[in-house]
Amino acid sequence: MSLYRFLIILSILVWGLTSCAPAPGAQVTAAVATEVSTAVGSPTPASETSGDDILGKLVIYSGRSEALIQPVIDAFKTKHPHVEILLKAGSNSELANALLEEAANPVADVFITTELFTVQSLAMQDVFQSYLPAEADQLPPELIGPNQTWIGLTRRARVIMYNSELVSAQEAPKSIFELMDAKWKGQIAAAGTTNGSMQAQIAAMRQLLGEQATEEWLKGLLANDVTFFGGHTDVRKAVGSGEFKIGLVNHYYFYLQQAEGSPVGVVFPDQGEGEIGLITNATAAGIVKGAHNLAAAQAFMDFLISPEGQNLFAELNYEYPLRAGVPLRQGVQPLDGFRLAAVDVVKAALDFEATFDLMERVGLP
Amino acid sequence: MQRTLAYWFVASTGRKSPTSPWLAIAAGLTALFVAIPLVYIFFRAAGAEPAAWQRLLQARLWQLLGNTLLLVVAVTCGALVTGVSMAWLTERTDLPGRNVLRAMLALPLAIPAYIGGIVHLALLRPRGGLIPLALEEIIGRPVATPSPLGFWGAAFILTLFTYPYVYLLSGAAFRSLHASLEEAARSLGRTPWQTFWQVTLPALRPGLMAGALLVALDILAEYGTVALLRYETFSSAIFVQLAGRYDRSAASVLSAVLVILAILILWAELRVQGQRRFTQIESNWRPAIRITLGKWRWSAFLLVASVVSASLLVPLGVLIGWSLQAFADPQTLEAVFRAGSRGFGSFVWNSLWTSLLAALLATALSLPVALLSVRYPSRISRFIARFCQVGYALPGVVIALSLVLLINRTLPFLYATPLVVVLAYVLRHMPQAVRSSESALNQLSPSLEEAARTLGRTPLQTLFQVTLPLILPGLLAGAALVFLTSLKELPATLLLRPPGFDTLAVRVWVWAGEGFYVQAAPAALILVLAAALPLSFLLRQEQIFSDSSIS
Repeated sequence: MSLYRFLIILSILVWGLTSCAPAPGAQVTAAVATEVSTAVGSPTPASETSGDDILGKLVIYSGRSEALIQPVIDAFKTKHPHVEILLKAGSNSELANALLEEAANPVADVFITTELFTVQSLAMQDVFQSYLPAEADQLPPELIGPNQTWIGLTRRARVIMYNSELVSAQEAPKSIFELMDAKWKGQIAAAGTTNGSMQAQIAAMRQLLGEQATEEWLKGLLANDVTFFGGHTDVRKAVGSGEFKIGLVNHYYFYLQQAEGSPVGVVFPDQGEGEIGLITNATAAGIVKGAHNLAAAQAFMDFLISPEGQNLFAELNYEYPLRAGVPLRQGVQPLDGFRLAAVDVVKAALDFEATFDLMERVGLP
Repeated sequence: MQRTLAYWFVASTGRKSPTSPWLAIAAGLTALFVAIPLVYIFFRAAGAEPAAWQRLLQARLWQLLGNTLLLVVAVTCGALVTGVSMAWLTERTDLPGRNVLRAMLALPLAIPAYIGGIVHLALLRPRGGLIPLALEEIIGRPVATPSPLGFWGAAFILTLFTYPYVYLLSGAAFRSLHASLEEAARSLGRTPWQTFWQVTLPALRPGLMAGALLVALDILAEYGTVALLRYETFSSAIFVQLAGRYDRSAASVLSAVLVILAILILWAELRVQGQRRFTQIESNWRPAIRITLGKWRWSAFLLVASVVSASLLVPLGVLIGWSLQAFADPQTLEAVFRAGSRGFGSFVWNSLWTSLLAALLATALSLPVALLSVRYPSRISRFIARFCQVGYALPGVVIALSLVLLINRTLPFLYATPLVVVLAYVLRHMPQAVRSSESALNQLSPSLEEAARTLGRTPLQTLFQVTLPLILPGLLAGAALVFLTSLKELPATLLLRPPGFDTLAVRVWVWAGEGFYVQAAPAALILVLAAALPLSFLLRQEQIFSDSSIS
């Protein structure tokens, strides 16, 4: 019987709390948060921090997974302690979809993607407002969107990682086309269609090689029983443990796995004569049109390309910072020596829809 | 066409009573509310361009259909065999420790299947799992262990975490079964084996069918486990479509096919269930005699103990171990507590208040439906009650898809608020509330209410002063069931949550997706404990399970 009473009391409690505030979770935790921050901040005057002018909520949609963006958000928060950051992490296209549907009633302030085609196609659909951070002159000009609708953050390369206990450096595939070779049948792991970097790789290949050759490559992977995971973390762990010999990943997944002590090696593929070159892409960010907290959004964009922000991407996640003069993390292979595949971002964004049709037609999981 | 309104409202079971118009309107509105996502999905699917249908028909649809049906059949059979044998062993034999085992066999219902899947995957992943690694350490070379991935893995794990439905329903049936039935069969010359197949099993059938139905619909809607174990079904394919593509027509097409599949299963169950009835003579009831297992005693015990271990003790033990590990390491502990946009407390709180609010709303909405169908039985009231079962056929991903599209267009002020998540829970779990309210009302004699009316109370006064206080335990049971299932819900929460809004289920899923098992463990443990509370309340009530066959 005491359980009855407990449940009744509990329900009355919740009912009371939920009916007195429109968003109870928000209200209660926000109250707690301000209490804590004033308690902590009281000995030192708040005006000492540079960002005390930035207040309110900042809603960030991020195609970078939570683990790859949270440290940057945390660093931003130590500079601007009065801004509350609400993060929604998901796949690029899922969030892009949400942005398009919310266009009349925007929720997000900033959108971060893991490749350029999604931001560019959103920019063409008028989702972003122009903003050029003061220090954007430190970025390569080709990685700033038309009309300053987006800015590039970091570069990443599509590489082949292998388990070095099971595959020798000579044996490892030197080209992404060797992944169709029957000798790797059932031993390759890659990311599936929800993954932005994989989508972007296929879009880049369509532009470089044409629809037919790309379709043949995808069919070759499927025929070779490649296992497609939801994300690259699973891929790197599976290769690191030896469950698979070969993985098609972004370069930093190799470094992350190596840092865990796994026996893994890496190939920056397609460097031979007549081959397509290394496929790279860049993460990017833009401010959503109709953003509720423009000041915070702009400060966040500034921070993303500041030396501190860029350094975090380089150090924590082994990425190639786009800002001139920010060093690579020790041990990361510089891209200078490699031939990079040249992809026209605007053209690829225009063709992005056809890439999705292709993936669906061949039945990529 | 000739039928008048009176035809629809005339009681089909003989007793005539005037239906209160307000009650009929309230029940009708509830049915309408439940109908919206269903109608909208069919509308979207029908409106999809032919090219989308064609692409899907060519490449995916048949394979998905095959995969999904195969898993549904395999898990339903697995759950039936496991559930009935566990119930038989604990109810009808002298199994050692049966009283403790009886409770432990029901508790896996508090563990979401994807959390069980995460634990088993971490233990058994080929080459990378803890067990293969330990074996390699001991033996000195890699040993092949059964993989939890793919079809067999998914079927195994899902069986482990769905058999309790069958177990509880058949256990209740075993307990209420009259001893004389089986004794008569034996005295007429049937062997024990023949008696089991010809007498016991048919008498259990209503309970088994209800259990099988719950399992089958659960598997159709399951997202987390199949995604984790890399087995593609309709639910996971719809999720991938939503996350991977811009246009939503393909997702709508897949959703419509999935919903039709679920409705077919519901309908088939109604047909089969309606054909046969069992009546037991209530007098002279005594429990059947326990069968002495003799030399099989300990092997039977081992069998039950291994089911309990795989579905309850191992997952709980691993979660506790990981949680201790998280608490021992200050760095992980800090990551646990600072996680998400608003920290650990916020997502415990979010889980609790959304599930509780959903439970209260679903129970409140179920009342007019149940009152109408129990007190004023007619074709229309029965149709409304049946229609409110449709939530069973709407998997979380489908509800999420239709709410995303609908809310933003029609109720933009609700968009990106946690209330949308609550709405999804209510829609999905309404059937449980309706059934509980119906069974509570069925047990209350109308003469009590009639007495109150005779003594001058208005219908509304009667409702609040007589009916509600008396059926409160039944209503609470329904609310507890909705709370339990809402707490475990994953795909709709993942797709509908506003920015910065995390629940325990979402947190566990996100962390485990990154491979941070130790970090995810405390949240998973709290989720399981929070789910065990309403479950133990339900187990004490128990009639909720024996009465939940579809009326």
